[in-house]
Amino acid sequence: MSVMASAICQPVDLSDWQNLLAVIWDFLSLSLFSLGGGNTLLTEYHYLAVDKYCWLSSQQFAEIYAIAEGAPGPSSMIVGLLGMGAAYREGPLWGVLSGVMAEVAILLPSTLLMVAAALSWNRFKDSPLRLAFERAMGPITLGVLFAVGLKILRISDHDTPAYAVSLVVCVLMLRTKISPLWFMACAGLLGALGLVNR
Amino acid sequence: MGETTPAPTHWQLFWGMQQVALSSFGGGLSAWSERIVVEERGWMSKQEFVTGLTVARLFPGPNQINMAIYIGSQFRGLSGALAAMAGILLVPFALLMALGLAYYELHTSMAVNRLLAGVITASAGMALSMGFKIAGAYSKDPIALGLAGISFLAMSVFHVRLVPLVLVAGPLAMAWYWPRQPKVRP
Repeated sequence: MSVMASAICQPVDLSDWQNLLAVIWDFLSLSLFSLGGGNTLLTEYHYLAVDKYCWLSSQQFAEIYAIAEGAPGPSSMIVGLLGMGAAYREGPLWGVLSGVMAEVAILLPSTLLMVAAALSWNRFKDSPLRLAFERAMGPITLGVLFAVGLKILRISDHDTPAYAVSLVVCVLMLRTKISPLWFMACAGLLGALGLVNR
Repeated sequence: MGETTPAPTHWQLFWGMQQVALSSFGGGLSAWSERIVVEERGWMSKQEFVTGLTVARLFPGPNQINMAIYIGSQFRGLSGALAAMAGILLVPFALLMALGLAYYELHTSMAVNRLLAGVITASAGMALSMGFKIAGAYSKDPIALGLAGISFLAMSVFHVRLVPLVLVAGPLAMAWYWPRQPKVRP
């Protein structure tokens, strides 16, 4: 059990305004790259939160991803939890504030672009630019999603039973319409019974 | 839809989207969105809604939030988009913050730690399924599969970050897929 981030990682101090602005800038600049609904950004979130800023350990990142997936509502709200993790040691109130700011930062640029797109769609829907963009981004999104899946698999599973559960869940996700919450509940039970370990 | 429904106000957009968010607890956000916006409130025709989904999926950002933005901006511009977005986000995000506070408070406890050790194996399986879910659409296009393979290797093996990958591979792929003018005139 390794709850804390590794000792060599020096967390960025968020009380420093320049660092806070740097963090906000990182999320702002990722926003327009959230292809295919936002899940393509997960490896970037891991890089920022674990490798660059040391807010979380890899294990905590995997746990936060699970919570964001299990919670109701639109996808990619995980950013709110990352922002909370960045400032939680300064108190719960700062955690919430930081979570809200991170979520606003990741949504703001894509929101403005989406408003512009919605209002001018009739002019662009048949342009070659739109057709080329749509066809080109699909395959890139596909490759990135596989990379994201592999990354989350690697940070979540560390022994054979864990990999076995993940593979079974993956197949059931593709072949059945069972709610993912059931998979999480069953796997949580396996963990509580000590059948799946870290 | 033949009859004209008056354009929803900011408050109606906010509450309508909130109803979508609350109804979809347990899943199926997209289906609930259509049921409430098209069938119950009659704000859009089915066809207008499908057009909106196309735009929402094409542009960056979470699809369901983009859809709310599309609906809001069709009726009330930028401020309508923000009202609809606030509606779809408010309750789920507040709940998420509460879950987050509970997590950061409790995750060091032994029981929670063991439970989460199991839960993350399921969410890892869910993450793994995302690629397979859309892979079928490209199975007959070798160029697309090659592009996907290169993107995957670049990130997973060579640790290329997403932004430079998209900035390099994106324009190249767009040049390849640029629609050709038909040579024969009818």
